Amino acid sequence: MREKRPALVITFATTTAAMAAERFSLAQGLPGRLIPVPREITAGCGLAWKAPPEEKERLLLAWEAGGLRWQEAVILCC
Amino acid sequence: MIQVNAVGDACPIPVVKTKNAIRELRGAGVVQTTVDNEIAVQNLTKMANQKGYGVRWEKLAPQRFAVTLTVGEGAQAPAPEEPECCAPAPAQGKRTVVAVASGTMGTGDAELGKALMKGFLYALSQTEPLPATILFYNGGAPLTCEGSASLEDLKSMEAQGVEILTCGTCLNFYGLTDRLRIGDVSNMYTIVEKLSQADQIIKP
Repeated sequence: MREKRPALVITFATTTAAMAAERFSLAQGLPGRLIPVPREITAGCGLAWKAPPEEKERLLLAWEAGGLRWQEAVILCC
Repeated sequence: MIQVNAVGDACPIPVVKTKNAIRELRGAGVVQTTVDNEIAVQNLTKMANQKGYGVRWEKLAPQRFAVTLTVGEGAQAPAPEEPECCAPAPAQGKRTVVAVASGTMGTGDAELGKALMKGFLYALSQTEPLPATILFYNGGAPLTCEGSASLEDLKSMEAQGVEILTCGTCLNFYGLTDRLRIGDVSNMYTIVEKLSQADQIIKP
């Protein structure tokens, strides 16, 4: 298994919100990628955004400016 | 740069040879070790990460890998008496083959299907045991090519011994033959053999 490292994981209220975040981030050249929500956060299904922890402020500021909505941003090993 | 030839050597010999070369550097420098299996790549990468060395690897041929370790100023040289830890060989139990026949997972909305397939390959790379083989054909072929968002996950699995094969007919059809970025090209006979010899087939 791939070595787990601390990562910023951002969750969304809906799948469409997660996909909108991906579209926006790719267009803006923002760091990160869409992943299935890790089991450590929820047993349910869903998509989350994974990025390096040090990019949290830049990412969330850009998302806020772009009118995106998200639920929570946590750091965990995944 | 010191070149180390560890082709044909089983674990822990590639790691032992590489550590000896790093000690010979007597400081900062680069050691490049050539090996013939993914387990050795994994072991060398693990050792480099533990020691804080820079590490990258590339596949030179189907059974040939070059692992380049960069030792920085002040980095700790490995002690001669350090134990060598070998990564386990790929699971010897069920032979699982994953057949990816589409760029999307399931039918319905195309954008959602693409996001699900990316998520599937990511989750697959995080799961133990890893599959023995992943086959990509028809609409799945672009996933192993330039521009695919799943290349990082596929490279990680390949480095851990997963065989990645893409249908050559499909690459040709989609004009992607020169854009394959991971694994090897396969033909229908190999695809049939892999599927028929599998203990378990997963088709996302």
